[in-house]
Amino acid sequence: MTRSYSGSVWAMLTPAVALIGVFILLPMALTLWLSLQHWSTQTGFQTARFIGLDNFFEIFGPTSVGRDFKGAFLNTAIYTALSIVLILPLSVGLGLLVHQRHVAGGSVLRTVLFSTYMVPMIAVALVWSKLYSPTEGPFNQMLGWIGVGPQPWLSSPDTALVSIVFLNVWQQVGYFTVLAIAGLTQIPHSLYEAARIDGANAFQQFYAITLPLLRRTLLFSAVIAIINAVQVFEPVALITQGGPVGSTNVLTYHIRRVGIERAQGGLGSAMAVMLMLSLIVVIFALFALARRKDDE
Amino acid sequence: MSAAIDQAPRQGLFFRRKRPTAGDALIATLMLALVVASAFPLVWMVLSSFKTTAESMQVPPVWIPQSPNFEAYEKVAGVINVGRSMWNSMIIATVTTAGILLTSLMAGYAFAKYRFRGRNLLFSVLIATMFLPPIVTLIPLYRIVGSLGLNASLAGVILPNLANAFGIFLMRQFIAGVPDDLIDAARMDGASEMRILFSIVAPTVTPAIAALALFAFVYHWNSYLWPLTVLQGSGDQYPIVISLSRLLSYNRGAMNTNLVMAGATLAVLPPLALFVFLQRFFVDSIVGSAVKG
Repeated sequence: MTRSYSGSVWAMLTPAVALIGVFILLPMALTLWLSLQHWSTQTGFQTARFIGLDNFFEIFGPTSVGRDFKGAFLNTAIYTALSIVLILPLSVGLGLLVHQRHVAGGSVLRTVLFSTYMVPMIAVALVWSKLYSPTEGPFNQMLGWIGVGPQPWLSSPDTALVSIVFLNVWQQVGYFTVLAIAGLTQIPHSLYEAARIDGANAFQQFYAITLPLLRRTLLFSAVIAIINAVQVFEPVALITQGGPVGSTNVLTYHIRRVGIERAQGGLGSAMAVMLMLSLIVVIFALFALARRKDDE
Repeated sequence: MSAAIDQAPRQGLFFRRKRPTAGDALIATLMLALVVASAFPLVWMVLSSFKTTAESMQVPPVWIPQSPNFEAYEKVAGVINVGRSMWNSMIIATVTTAGILLTSLMAGYAFAKYRFRGRNLLFSVLIATMFLPPIVTLIPLYRIVGSLGLNASLAGVILPNLANAFGIFLMRQFIAGVPDDLIDAARMDGASEMRILFSIVAPTVTPAIAALALFAFVYHWNSYLWPLTVLQGSGDQYPIVISLSRLLSYNRGAMNTNLVMAGATLAVLPPLALFVFLQRFFVDSIVGSAVKG
């Protein structure tokens, strides 16, 4: 392996590096550059005109552009936080159920949970919009059976965003369950035996052994879940169009509407930069938090 | 003693202790409820696709169609060109997958088995793109693909996705485990590097290749945002996931639930069938990439 294969190295790397360079890294750099320009998406890049930080002032300003962006940003933050808060504990609970050895059927549960991850989001959105239907949908019918009144689901600004969180959790939780199971199988069985000998009950074992040793898995899951959550698009584009009254206007939908449909490429790019910066900050904060816990 | 039972309990078909405890019964009930809850939306989708239009409008909703029929499927074929859309989806998913396999194998091999200046830096930069949500690059990418004259074409949908960081990462992880001796022996025999990669290294990592192929296929079959952006307006190029949206706008106001469900069922079938038959590869590769990574 000490011999150099410099010719081969480049032959092997060029296809992947060139494609990722032209179609991901270059657009990334252009997004940063365009965020400082006045530019219409319908014209070439050479028509861009430098305007400093004006786009950023505008998207945080008091005009309708600013109001819409700040609304979309807040909606995305709420959507992401709710998704994580539901998905992570569920994935650990479901992982424990699949992993336990007292009752058979764990692999069936895993298969069913994970299969929803293969369903195109567009089909999930279509099916759930009908499940949520206030009159002829089965959800309100079932709520009626247990004496709960009909819910407006996607048609009220108070419940629309949460309703989309639910369908997202349903689709994604199986994937995170598989990750949790991978983490659980890494925990040595002897730790539980030792704890049992010391008289620890199931809950004490969970808090003293399972949860601390799953920390790395949960960190990984949280990062992936955040990145997936900010990409929510199909249910909004197809069913709610950002409404009612802007309650489901999320960033991926909003940035595409501004930057592609309204062709305001500079403004859209500034919004994309803010999304990326926020992601970087949140993910670094998560890693810092996990490291502090590791040191304890 | 109880540990021994935990590790190798094979007493019963369902309950594995000789005398199931109340806790076991609770676990069993919970698992059954979760399977039902998780499967419910898809079961509802398939059932509704066999309802008549009148049935799908009924309040309270009918769960099981009285006379299951293909009325909805026939209507779907009248609203969207199902064959053409499925074909477009197939082209997008297979060509993209083939490209990803090729570029990932080559780059993964280079990162796993060559030493060169800047290797770690280049690898880190590529891996970082895995964490980039597509919307961040969508606007300039749309312009770049447009200026290549590829808007409104399947080539425009496919080209930007022919390489990705996840594939490179997965291939590097698995190729790193291939013994160097195997590769050196082939070099001794005068085999070219390409030949070594495809006839010696690739066959030893077949499960990883299968997993990557399945993931890529399902991901690009399902992908919506980019095809919608590139293909806007040119309906005959639409993959099935985009054609579906027409079912919703078709005849808006009048109820068309059975129609929408039939279309959704058609779109779900290929990725779900792949998953059901090849589930092992999906699970193994997720576990592999998460644990090793």
